[in-house]
Formats: sequence, structure tokens, C-alpha cells
Amino acid sequence: MKKSGNALQRKPVRIRYIVQAAFFVLVAVTATVSALNEKGIIIPFFKGVSLHGICPFGGVVSFYQLFTIGTLTKKVHESSVVLAVIGLLSALLMGPVICGWICPFGTFQQWLSGIGKRLFGRKYNTFVPRKLDRVLRFLRYGVLAWVLYMTAITGKLIFQDYDPYYALFNFWTGDVAVTGYIALALVILLSLFVERPFCKYACPFGALLGIFNLFRIFGIRRNAPTCISCKACNRACPMNIDVMAGKAVKDHQCITCFECTSEAACPVPATVEMTALPAITKDHEREGGAK
Amino acid sequence: MKLTIRTTAAAVIVLFAGGILLASALGFWVTESTKEPAKIKTGEFAGMPNPSDIRGSYTWNDISKSFGIDVGLLMQAFGVKDASTKVNTLEEAVKSLSLPPGVEIGTDAVRLFVALYTGLPHTPEESTVLPYTAAEILLREGKADKALIEAAAARAVKPAGTTPAAEPAASAVPAATGTANTAPAPAPAPAASTTKTKTETVTAPAAAAPAATTPQTATATQPAATTTTETHVEKPTGTVVGKTTFGELKQWGVSVEDIKAVLGGKIGPDPMAIKDFATQNELSFSEIKTKLQELVDKAKK
Ligand code: SF4
Repeated sequence: MKKSGNALQRKPVRIRYIVQAAFFVLVAVTATVSALNEKGIIIPFFKGVSLHGICPFGGVVSFYQLFTIGTLTKKVHESSVVLAVIGLLSALLMGPVICGWICPFGTFQQWLSGIGKRLFGRKYNTFVPRKLDRVLRFLRYGVLAWVLYMTAITGKLIFQDYDPYYALFNFWTGDVAVTGYIALALVILLSLFVERPFCKYACPFGALLGIFNLFRIFGIRRNAPTCISCKACNRACPMNIDVMAGKAVKDHQCITCFECTSEAACPVPATVEMTALPAITKDHEREGGAK
Repeated sequence: MKLTIRTTAAAVIVLFAGGILLASALGFWVTESTKEPAKIKTGEFAGMPNPSDIRGSYTWNDISKSFGIDVGLLMQAFGVKDASTKVNTLEEAVKSLSLPPGVEIGTDAVRLFVALYTGLPHTPEESTVLPYTAAEILLREGKADKALIEAAAARAVKPAGTTPAAEPAASAVPAATGTANTAPAPAPAPAASTTKTKTETVTAPAAAAPAATTPQTATATQPAATTTTETHVEKPTGTVVGKTTFGELKQWGVSVEDIKAVLGGKIGPDPMAIKDFATQNELSFSEIKTKLQELVDKAKK
């Protein structure tokens, strides 16, 4: 009985996979058409937009220059700023939905995790020692600070040469630096052992969006009285968050993927859900943290 | 209030699609650079389009429209066959040819051509050279100071008559080497005798071809006599060039006070290029550059 109910509950999470795949295709087509246009090849009915034009992080790194001299960082367009604003608003509302639902590079790593899971089964995503992992998770804030500072003083998109996301969609264009290829190869390799290694340890935009987990309006909450402590939520979390440790997930690494919720992993209905968080419900109970 | 996977999916799509639609309606959804160069803000040319702002993504048609130059003339100057191609394809076309090290025919060459043709200001990169065909047009119709045009022409390289668009001949060598590929600029720039020349490589020996120095500022208002000529083939860290920003200067160890002393008490924000600051404040970039370079060299020691 419970099993069939659970099977039914698992269905909605597929909606996220569909949304992710759709955004991946959209970005891949748009970036490819744009790169072809750059080479003078015009594809009928498709308008290419460069990856920089649809990257919200380009907007984020441009904020300083925009506020100080009123111009955008080289290669960044107004559309990036629009996406950055929407991205930050969505994070305020629902946390880093961009990471869990939209970012094609997150999706790419998620797909690679399928191979890792086949290779290592339950051991997958548990290889990095906990203490080391906890420290490494803060590395992305160092990357964020470095990218923001360097972009601010040079006025150039400094991260492009190290960005595996840019390398993935432009690997064939000849516009990718060696460091970009190395970063991409490293992420592909690591994804076979760790789920979303770039998101966890190096993504500067994920770092920024992650901060919103501390005060997002809608968050993942666990209803302790109905919880049967089966740890299904912990096992399902791609970011290794200890959902069971508290009543609300406020870990800076949550990507709002819903994998832990009662609509997916949790076998008990209405036990792990996304609702308005303590600030609104006046609930001050203990919060979940990384395992 | 609860958000399920379904409602979150709907919220994500509505938020992003709605946000983009709203931005489009308000005119903020711009996915490519505007094809109009920024206007010069101050000085004699205030309100005129700035050649320095020509981007690689502009087509020849865009440049023609912005600067009022006949598109056929632009195409002839750079050997282009399709006016709707982007200027940055010029670099691609030139890549396959054996241009001498340290010289480039790219977007900056187009900026230089436009500046010399219209008489508007632009400070070219040290490595920028013009194709021979462009130099010919400038010698005939250019509105900039004659000496500047001649100096640029003396460094021009010869495009192959039959090779594809804008490709200089495989044998092209810089004017400096003294081969017959240079533009016919018989008269040496008057600047040559009074110019502080710090030639490191590709320029010609001053005695043999004084005109072969690179004008740092091609502007109708700035006489060549005040032009500093410096040709660096390499741009190692710590070399002040047109694109150098204030942030980079600071990173290289130059203090804010020293920068201000050179710029008359002012300083631009970190991401701003020094050249843009000079243009905005009607300062001679060539002079500033020399002084700042001295500070950088001092800081390096
Ligand atoms: S805590 Fe839940 S929503 Fe957050 S990343 Fe982990 S599984 Fe996804």
C-alpha cells in the first residue's frame, strides 16, 4: 500500500527533470546558433544569443561596473542583468531554484551522476571525507570573491577562461581557453564519484544564491512528529544535506531540488515539504545542516 | 502556505518567462551590444560617435551608418566582400596568414581607419597596422592630420590582390623591415624629429624610415609633434596600453596618490580604461601613458 503510494508520489519530481532538460536544450541551441552566426553561418528561424547574453552571473559580475561607471562588463548584455535580478528574486523566494531547476551545467552534472550511481551504487557521492568536504564547500565563496574582485578591477569577464560551463557549450568554437577545457574535464571526472562537484565546491553563482538559503521565504521543512527517521531524505539529497537533523533546511548548499520531500524520497505524506519558513511561521526550531 | 513540485515548476517558468517579457516590454531585454558606438562626451568632438567604441560585433554596414562613411569604401579599404559580416571576422581572415609577429589587422585597425578618415580621435594599440588599400584611401581622402595619416600609411601591409577579403599577402612584413610592402608614404611624419621614440622592435630604424613610427593618438586635433611613439610587440604584465584599467595599475603597485598626481588630481573607477578616462577628460593619453609607465616600472623594482 505504502509502496504504491510512494510510487505515485515519485511522479511529480519528474516535472523538474523535464524543466531541466528543456532549459538545457534551450541554452544549447541558443549558444550554438550564436556561435555559428559568429562564424558567418546563419540558421533560418533561429536567433542566436551568446552564452554571455543569457548568463545571469554575467549580470552579477557587472553590478559593480554598472553602479560605478554605468556600463557593463565587456561581452555582457542588459539581458544578463535582467536574468541576474530575476535569479536573485527567485532565490529570495524559493532558494537557489536556478541551480536545481534551470542551470544547464547543474543538469549536465546530474546526468553524469547517473553513470556514477551505476558504477558505485549506494557508495556514490560518499567518497569525500566529511571533514574535508565541509571545508571544501566554502571554497566557492573564495571563487566568488576572486571573480567579483578581478572583474571589478579589469572590467573583463575574468571567469570565462576557467568556466567549465562556458567550455561545455563552446568546446567546438575555438573560443575556449585551455584552462576551461581542463576545468570541464575535471568536473566530468569528479562527477563520476561526487554529485554536482562544481556546484558544491567551485560555482561562484551557486555560492551567491546559496546565501539566500539562510533567509528564503519558502524553504524545505520537516514535520518531526510524523517523521519515521528512515533517513530516506538524507540519502536522496544530492548535496549531502542532513535533512533529518532539524525542522527546516537552511544549509547554504540546498538547491531546492525537492528530492528529499514527501513528493519524492520521503515515504510519509506531508512530512518534508516546501512551505513558508520560520520567519513567517514564527517557528524557531533547530535547522538542518550538512551531514 | 505550501509549494509543491508542480507549483514550483509553474512559479519558475512564470517568474523567468514573465520577467523576460516584462523586461522586453520595458526595453531592457537586450541580448547583443547596440550597434551604435558611444558618443564622445567632451571636447571639440563632443556628441560625435567615438571610433574607439567600434566593437568586433559591428558589421561594416553598422560602421558605415554610424560614421557616415560609404560602405563600399570601407569594403575596399579592408578587402571585404560582404557588408553584413562582422568586423571581428577580419582577425579570423588574417590569422591564417603569416603576418609578422607583433602586428595585427583587426578591429582596432578599423577604428584607426575610421578615426583617420573622419578626423575623430582614437588611440590605436601598438600592434595595429592598416592594410595597404586602407592607407591608399586615407592618403587620398583622410580628414585627419596629414602627418598622422602618413605615419600610419608607412606601417601599412600589402593585401594580396587576389586573396580573400582583407587578407594581407602572406609575404606581408611590417613597414619597419623596409621591404616594398609598406604604403607609399614618402614624406616622413614631421613628428619624427621631435618625437620621443622608444622603439623596441618592428619599427623602422629612425634614420631609414622615420615615418614608420606608430602614432599613439590619431586625432585631428592633436598634432603629431606631441605624439609619443612607442612600439611594444609584447605586452607583458605591467605595460600600460590603451586597455589598461585603473584597477590593473593599482594591482601593479602604483599608488592612488601617484596616479592622481599624473592625472591632475583625479582618478577613474577601477574597471575604467585609462584611455577612456583620458578621452573623457581631454587629456593626452600618450603623455599620461609615459608617466604612468614610469610609475609602473618604478613599482616593479
Ligand atoms: S535538502 Fe532537499 S531540496 Fe535541498 S538539495 Fe537536499 S534534497 Fe534538494
